[in-house]
Amino acid sequence: MRWGMVIDLSKCMRCHGCVAACRVEHFLPLGVTWPRLIAWEEIAGEETTYPVRCNQCKEAPCVKVCPTGATQQREDGIVWVDQDKCIGCRYCIIACPYQNRTFLSKDKDTGYFPGYELTDFEKAGKRLYPHTTGTTEKCNFCMERIDAGLAKGLKPGVDREATPACVNTCPSRALTFGDLDDPDSEVRQLIRDFKGFQLHPEYDTDPSIYYIDKGWRGV
Amino acid sequence: MVLRQWMVTHEWMVEPTPQTEWIMRRGILVWIAEVFTSLGAGLYLISLFYNNLWGMAAAWLIIMFLKVPLHLIYFGRPLRFWRTLIPITDSWKTSWFTRGINFTVYFGSIVFIQILVTYFFPGTGWDIALRVLGGVFAFLVGIYSGFITSYCKSIPFWNTALIPLILLFAGVTDGFALMLAVGMADASVGIMAVEFGSRILLTVNIILMAVFLWNATYTSRTAKYSAMLLLKGSLASLFWVGVIAVGLIIPLAISVSSIFADEASAPLLISAIVLHTIGAVTLKYVLLKSGVHNPILPAITSAYH
Repeated sequence: MRWGMVIDLSKCMRCHGCVAACRVEHFLPLGVTWPRLIAWEEIAGEETTYPVRCNQCKEAPCVKVCPTGATQQREDGIVWVDQDKCIGCRYCIIACPYQNRTFLSKDKDTGYFPGYELTDFEKAGKRLYPHTTGTTEKCNFCMERIDAGLAKGLKPGVDREATPACVNTCPSRALTFGDLDDPDSEVRQLIRDFKGFQLHPEYDTDPSIYYIDKGWRGV
Repeated sequence: MVLRQWMVTHEWMVEPTPQTEWIMRRGILVWIAEVFTSLGAGLYLISLFYNNLWGMAAAWLIIMFLKVPLHLIYFGRPLRFWRTLIPITDSWKTSWFTRGINFTVYFGSIVFIQILVTYFFPGTGWDIALRVLGGVFAFLVGIYSGFITSYCKSIPFWNTALIPLILLFAGVTDGFALMLAVGMADASVGIMAVEFGSRILLTVNIILMAVFLWNATYTSRTAKYSAMLLLKGSLASLFWVGVIAVGLIIPLAISVSSIFADEASAPLLISAIVLHTIGAVTLKYVLLKSGVHNPILPAITSAYH
């Protein structure tokens, strides 16, 4: 089993819903954003958008360079950071070819309204999903949701309760989540049918995030 | 139009993006620590070669009291430093960072004992054995930073086997410069011999730097972009003046001039030492500063072209 995601570029409508959903799901500090949208101006002048997040690489450079083993890879392919082990050396940030890691410095965790009392949302976040300053963070495919869902017998990518928050939120269904090792899964079918591609395959990192463009194929 | 302005927030990620973590803001500590890594490891190796105890002691002090604290202060969670030590972690199997930290710890421990043994029991079997071990770990301390950077495929300019060699040879050359300084205070050091070694190493450094940059110009577009930052871009003045002229050419010229004199004069020697050390500081700066990430997307802007 290897969890992966397919992002349909033709469906993304730049609403930033995935960014907001992730922020709420993980109580992200103000200066940290796990998924991001990249605006790319094409040569022809037409602008298109790439939603990016940690690529959950099968051969993850961040796992290999981590000096303490804080960045780990689970059997289902999810790469996550144990913030209790991270020493904040930032080697993983340098080594990530996709620039999808963030160092949580104190100035990125000043509160949503610096100088004022924390909001109830932030207070809940400190209790439910604490972030440790001085360490590195990144998207973890909402592994808590996946684990909780699997424990209930649910299927990630199919059942909302077991599916990453960004996928659930996307109003245009540009994001699809599922098992890359299952040839019959929706993600595999999309990759097969629409020639899914990964970012920077030349690095041999084998990302678990694929991009398709149904519009480009005229579908 | 409003949407367009809002969406360009991350446009920097589709252009070659300079790494900032190890050179900007607190990252300056990494730069200075790397300078001391070169100076300390190089000085120890050269002191070992010329059998100079004071040089060894100075090298140990540089590594343990300048390099190590700066690295620790840089960490976001320095008190968790122990997590990088073998056998607490097995990350040494893949991480040059873990290996480097452990090399430094072993260097610190072994060389401390070696200096005591050399001082009190010179020439004994223990002395020789500890010197060999100290030399091995000084070599590893001097080269591991090169492997840390060369491992990063994300930064094509660094992703070359030449980087460890450049940093190692730069360190040994730094060691020669510092040995000249030790030699000015310690009459047992043969200044002419150190000058001879210095000439060779400075020449090797110039050749290595030329090969490194030449190689970068056709390795990848981003590597070429980095090389051009040094040769013609925003770092050109620092590179040409600081690294090449001040750090290599002028010290080499001073060193060559000593061939025609019995021994270089003290002011000339001091100039060579100071200039080379400025070059060493500048070299680490421009190497870290010119580390540029490939764009995430295959898109490229006109500036990149």
